[in-house]
Amino acid sequence: MKEIVVISGKGGTGKTSVTASLAMLGLDNMIVADCDVDAADMHLLMQPKQSETSDFFSGVLAVIDQDKCIQCGKCAEICRWQAIPVIDSKYEVQALDCEGCGYCALVCPVQAIKMESQNVGDWIISDVKSSTKMVHAKLHIGAENSGKLVAKVKNEAKALAKSKGLDYVLVDGSPGIGCPVVSSLSGADLVVLVTEPSVSGIHDLKRVYQLVKKFSIPANCIINKADINENKSKELKQFLAKEKIELLAEIPYDDNFTKAMTMGQTIVEYDPDGIGSIIKMCWNKIK
Amino acid sequence: MKILFTTKGTEWTSEMDQRFGRAEFFFIYDEETKEIATFDNRAISNEAHGAGPKTAQKMAEYKVDVLITGNGPGGNAATVIERVGTTVFVGAGAMTAEAAYKAYKNGELKKI
Repeated sequence: MKEIVVISGKGGTGKTSVTASLAMLGLDNMIVADCDVDAADMHLLMQPKQSETSDFFSGVLAVIDQDKCIQCGKCAEICRWQAIPVIDSKYEVQALDCEGCGYCALVCPVQAIKMESQNVGDWIISDVKSSTKMVHAKLHIGAENSGKLVAKVKNEAKALAKSKGLDYVLVDGSPGIGCPVVSSLSGADLVVLVTEPSVSGIHDLKRVYQLVKKFSIPANCIINKADINENKSKELKQFLAKEKIELLAEIPYDDNFTKAMTMGQTIVEYDPDGIGSIIKMCWNKIK
Repeated sequence: MKILFTTKGTEWTSEMDQRFGRAEFFFIYDEETKEIATFDNRAISNEAHGAGPKTAQKMAEYKVDVLITGNGPGGNAATVIERVGTTVFVGAGAMTAEAAYKAYKNGELKKI
């Protein structure tokens, strides 16, 4: 089984559009995993139905037992995030401000503070339109993605692919270079970098590639909107050549991407003979 | 040499865990004494953030010379490991601990 992770560094390069297109090409021989949980949107293209939903617990939050509290105020004083104001003469933890560090519970002289596990969202296994299953997640308001959640989504996807004897796990990775991206990359067999010829596109590609190198995972690259800036496109290609990253394709800017998206379709469905054929060629190279 | 493998179990026949930070177990083999030790790392692998450096810190307590893993570790964990002075070999993610040890002995794993 081969685990392919699609990342971009920068947002808005077309990472998810490309991933969903690859999913439509890999069809029922792969399990799809959306690990871009902070801004999950692959479901808009993959149209999940008949979902199986489970709670996801991550991190802790301070909870004060008001019956035990002696109003000494030590917790409020020590809290770096000023998350324990006095409301109606009671010390109350503000859920959105608490970072879960547990310092307050440590200094409380009467052990009135407990650190409770947080139900931050759901992880979901759905049937999707590419005749397979997609593992994804939905966070509650104010909750953040984490390496733990990405690991959970990926592990479930891998287990499913293994049990069904499928050849691929396709992961829509998280943007940036933080904990969720590290977790997206860990355990992968191949990285597909989707970038665009812009200052931030190049900057973020270089940054995330440093991380990919740390993991010793082979990588190749798709330059999307390749014709919007000739100079930057050239700069990108020089960087790829220097790092010996295979350039899979240069996709020109095309309104059909947006048109497909507004119809809830991937570009391989909407424009199979145009842009769709370029992505098909990429899939044949990486599969 | 004292060698630490990231594994999914506590036996020589256990599968390797491809991940470093969120590895389920450590399987530690001391070549001199032939002793085996294991550590259940699942508490750390359940941390929301910072699993890599926490696992590296735990690993440091075992004072191993060599780490054999899949394709990690990430940046922060690598910094810790570098400071501790452990040599890292990768590319053993799809093997058992036993096969990974053989591959290491035969010089088939990539040193980073």
